[in-house]
Amino acid sequence: MDPQLTEVSQQLERFKAAFVRKDYNTCSDLLSRLKVLLTKFTSLPPLFENTPNAAQELAIARDIYEHAVVLSVKTEDQDAFERDFFQLKPYYVDARNRLPPSPQENLILGLNLLRLLVQNRIAEFHTELELLSSATLDNPCIKHAVELEQSFMEGAYNRVLSARQTAPDATYVYFMDLLAKTIRDEIAGCSEKAYDYVSISDARQMLLFSSDQELLTYVNEEHPEWEVKDGFVVFQKAKETAPCKEIPSLQLINQTLSYARELERIV
Amino acid sequence: MAAAMVSSAGGLLAMLNEPQPTLKHHALSHLNNLVDRFWPEISTSVPIIESLYEDEEFDLHQRQLAALLVSKVFYYLGELNDSLSYALGAGAFFDVSEDTDYVHTLLAKAIDEYASLRSKAVESSEMVDIDPRLEAIVERMLGKCITDGKYQQAMGIALECRRLDKLEEAITKSDNVEGTLTYCINVSHSFVNRREYRHEVLSLLVEVYQKLPSPDYLSICQCLMFLDEPQGVATILEKLLRSDSKDDALLALQISFDLVENEHQAFLLSVRDRLPAPKTRPVEVAQAVETTATTNENLSGDVQMADDTPVTPAQTIVHETDPVDATYAERLTKIKGILSGETSIQLTLQFLYSHNKSDLLILKTIKQSVEMRNSVCHSATIYANAIMHAGTTVDTFLRENLDWLSRATNWAKFSATAGLGVIHRGHLQQGRSLMAPYLPQGGAGGGGSPYSEGGALYALGLIHANHGEGIKQFLRDSLRSTNVEVIQHGACLGLGLSALGTADEEIYDDVKSVLYTDSAVAGEAAGISMGLLLVGTATEKASEMLAYAHETQHEKIISSWYVFLGGLALGIALTVYGREEGADTLIEQMTRDQDPIIRYGGMYALALAYCGTANNKAIRQLLHFAVSDVSDDVRRTAVLALGFVLYSDPEQTPRIVSLLSESYNPHVRYGAALAVGISCAGTGLSEAISLLEPLTSDVVDFVRQGALIAMAMVMVQISEASDSRVGTFRRQLEKIILDKHEDTMSKMGAILASGILDAGGRNVTIRLLSKTKHDKVTAVIGLAVFSQFWYWYPLIYFISLAFSPTAFIGLNYDLKVPKFEFMSHAKPSLFEYPKPTTVPTSNTAAKLPTAVLSTSVKAKARAKKEAEQKANAEKASGAEKSVSESGSGKGKESADKEGDSMQVDSTATVEKKAAEPEAAFEILVNPARVVPAQEKYIKLLEDSRYVPVKVAPSGFVLLKDLREHEPEVLSLTDAPTSTASPATGAASATQGTTASAMAVDDEPQPPQAFEYAS
Repeated sequence: MDPQLTEVSQQLERFKAAFVRKDYNTCSDLLSRLKVLLTKFTSLPPLFENTPNAAQELAIARDIYEHAVVLSVKTEDQDAFERDFFQLKPYYVDARNRLPPSPQENLILGLNLLRLLVQNRIAEFHTELELLSSATLDNPCIKHAVELEQSFMEGAYNRVLSARQTAPDATYVYFMDLLAKTIRDEIAGCSEKAYDYVSISDARQMLLFSSDQELLTYVNEEHPEWEVKDGFVVFQKAKETAPCKEIPSLQLINQTLSYARELERIV
Repeated sequence: MAAAMVSSAGGLLAMLNEPQPTLKHHALSHLNNLVDRFWPEISTSVPIIESLYEDEEFDLHQRQLAALLVSKVFYYLGELNDSLSYALGAGAFFDVSEDTDYVHTLLAKAIDEYASLRSKAVESSEMVDIDPRLEAIVERMLGKCITDGKYQQAMGIALECRRLDKLEEAITKSDNVEGTLTYCINVSHSFVNRREYRHEVLSLLVEVYQKLPSPDYLSICQCLMFLDEPQGVATILEKLLRSDSKDDALLALQISFDLVENEHQAFLLSVRDRLPAPKTRPVEVAQAVETTATTNENLSGDVQMADDTPVTPAQTIVHETDPVDATYAERLTKIKGILSGETSIQLTLQFLYSHNKSDLLILKTIKQSVEMRNSVCHSATIYANAIMHAGTTVDTFLRENLDWLSRATNWAKFSATAGLGVIHRGHLQQGRSLMAPYLPQGGAGGGGSPYSEGGALYALGLIHANHGEGIKQFLRDSLRSTNVEVIQHGACLGLGLSALGTADEEIYDDVKSVLYTDSAVAGEAAGISMGLLLVGTATEKASEMLAYAHETQHEKIISSWYVFLGGLALGIALTVYGREEGADTLIEQMTRDQDPIIRYGGMYALALAYCGTANNKAIRQLLHFAVSDVSDDVRRTAVLALGFVLYSDPEQTPRIVSLLSESYNPHVRYGAALAVGISCAGTGLSEAISLLEPLTSDVVDFVRQGALIAMAMVMVQISEASDSRVGTFRRQLEKIILDKHEDTMSKMGAILASGILDAGGRNVTIRLLSKTKHDKVTAVIGLAVFSQFWYWYPLIYFISLAFSPTAFIGLNYDLKVPKFEFMSHAKPSLFEYPKPTTVPTSNTAAKLPTAVLSTSVKAKARAKKEAEQKANAEKASGAEKSVSESGSGKGKESADKEGDSMQVDSTATVEKKAAEPEAAFEILVNPARVVPAQEKYIKLLEDSRYVPVKVAPSGFVLLKDLREHEPEVLSLTDAPTSTASPATGAASATQGTTASAMAVDDEPQPPQAFEYAS
């Protein structure tokens, strides 16, 4: 076996061990070393050279990046997630016919969809969705994300929140929490527009908090412009929106008529 | 494998954000390969890559890579400036040898940038910071071009960027140095606009030339002439002359002829004076030369004045010196003869005389149709005659119509007399004796009319134009000894012409005193004359003249004063000839002037300073004046001036003036017509003809006049076979001349046009550029003054200065014209002389139908010609046949055989010829008429006895004799000077003495039958 490949697989084993141990710092160190090692392999994207060990190398590289993605979820690092996912993507898309499909694939794709949902990047979400085959769409992981998005769009926020319990994988929980936060922001935005004020208990229910304390912290952190007094949350609506400008119709009509008269005079 | 491509650069882009530099580098290098496909994706990440480039901690290598990547993305985004600045940052990664659009585009951009910076640095003489990286790229490119053998590219870039060091490198390293040098000379003439820079380039070229083991002296001397370095030329000539080889001597002679062709009198004279005399008897030669000169000057009344050809002194010396010096002395005299222009003038004269094909019938028709009392048309006819016979010495028409001629009075008489000068142009030896009857006879009022006397002086100037060594003194004396305005006028013009461009102080003072007499008539001539004297010198004197023009104009405002000031203004303009930027101050001063006539001169100054350069700035300025000036005169001249600026690039002119030719202002239309006429003269350019055609039937009479003249200038020597519109035009001219109701102005135009169309016995064309693409000073000046005929008709004669014979004249070592054949590989009819008009039935001339050139006439003419040919052929013995016939016969034969073998059965061809179609080529015999369009068809016969020193299709060409011991057959005898002397080698001895007897009415010898050398 190629010494480099051996080295990579040994490192990967150590990485996996550390991962199981939940020693995420070691994991990050190992991962970056692995990535550097991977750059030596010419069979990997974007070159795709036909080296003798191409299949193994591809497989191992894909494995590494899949782990990297999962690791980033564990470390709750969204930037790293995005970075690693993009690097992983060519293995799914372009190397499809050189490698047996990965068991993790749908899980990771689903995670990515969730991430997009969380970051409220709906356009990209749909772009990703379009790239998936209809068979993949039936996969529970993907289906989960798709349904979430639908509920989210409809405004059926309670359905989104209850979906937390049906998450297909433990890694999803992180994003589901984040999603709850996103939803809360949405609801807050809507309430702000809809009401002048809301009672604290209603607000707590609406914003899906379990205690008033949580609500107050939230208001302090996210919406300092809200006012809490006398058991009510008062939304400081920008009431002073300027009244819609009137169309100067009479003036226009007069002008047009005078132009017509002038024109007639010239001819 | 097709699937083995990434579908997105997303992965790599993501990798750029990785913390490790190795990964970033990995991503960069892969992105760099993929950028051509994924630049849209990458473009969103450009800020990241830019920040990588700017990251100081990053490895230099990687930063450069990042720069390259950004540069490529910007290139695809169309942001070339940004792209270039990043490419510069990429350092060595930017590979100039890469064959991609990206690299090509950026290189072009870089070179443009660099060139503009460099020229800015040079022109504004302030320090411009040039990015050393930019310079490095350009240098890398140059280096690459040179190593790849793309020398022309390298030279082009080096020239553009003003890197003379690189230019030199490119030339010296090229595999064909001579070829590259020639190319470089051409390029520098056509693309280097700034005069000073061109000078630098040329001096570099000369330097390179001289380092060559076998330098191309022809080109060096051309360069040196441009640089105005007579000493260099003289040294080269001397070296060649002293050489043992006869070939070198031939080369020297050829160089001299080429130099003469550019008509730079002052330069030629100084070259001549710098040629050292033979060592052993230097004094004697100098004396001999001097004596010839002094005799010429002193014998003012003597008719035989210029008789002794320079051969004579040489002959005397040769006897006494040792052989080496003897040959040198002999050669030296030849060279001096050539450089003084005498040899070429003499040969041209002989050629024009012997090949004169002018059609007297045309003149006769004009004469008969012109009303007696219409003095304008009367003198126009005289002008036409003079132009038609320019340089041929054939004055039959005048002699036959002395009665008619005598109707000319006053200024008409002046021009009639001056016309003789045009006819005898270049007849240096005989000029004085011919004009003697008309010249002022010792002291004022010797009996003759002042008009004819003045005319005669003008005529002398025309005869000696640009070669006035011998006549200057006489003209000066005449000028001094008279107070008559008319004679002063003639003398001034004569002096200006003969001393063209010499800037002779004494003459200048004489002429200036005439100017200060404040006489309109004489002053005009004096103004022009001063201009002629100072052509191209751009001295202080121009400002002096300008000041005078200002001083006088306030006092007198009469119409003739306008003429005077016009002359003066033109004179000022002449002084800045060819100075380009050097003349800008004066031009600025003149064009800003309040007085329109000075601005008018300013237009001429612009025209002449930038003549033939096609300089954009000058064109822009002229166009501006053409549409914005308040004075019609200025507008007309501004448009006309375009013709001068653009003559080196005739295709441009019709395009540029096409809009102006449709102007509502007739003056602008007139100017447009003449501009096309001037710049496209002799080219027969189709666009030019199309532009002029509608103008010839313009509603305004003087526009028609201008258009007719311009058309004639364009069509000169174009045969009907090559452009049918020539025939149409001839018929149109005839119709206008015969039409009683036509305006005088356009009638005059038509008469002049028919003169120009058949100028110089149908053997000359109007040419403003020599074959080496130099401006012909005399020709340009001639046309400029000619265009002034708007104010002063006698100036029409200046057009004769622009005529140059369309001839191939091959010369042997003795400067004789040996019999020599060559081939014109085109149908003879394409370039033949126009058919002569037929004799009209005796007394119905006035009612002559317009269509003279009907087909029946043609057929008749052809039949006649064939009959002649047959007669000729029969006269010749079995193996000999007439020239044209053998040509046509062989053309057919060889075409059949598809080979070039020249052996043909002569009797068979003679019989066949009548039914044969036209031959595909014809054989010409030295000296032959070769019209400009024909030049590209000229080929030499392979087994010829003579080999030209320089391959040239026309002009004077020296021939190397491969069989020196065989007797030579000389074909051009000294026709106009003596009864044809038999072909002998010793002609030189007799030449001097036979020169005096002049037999004008001698018929040229019929072409002799010749033997075909197989």
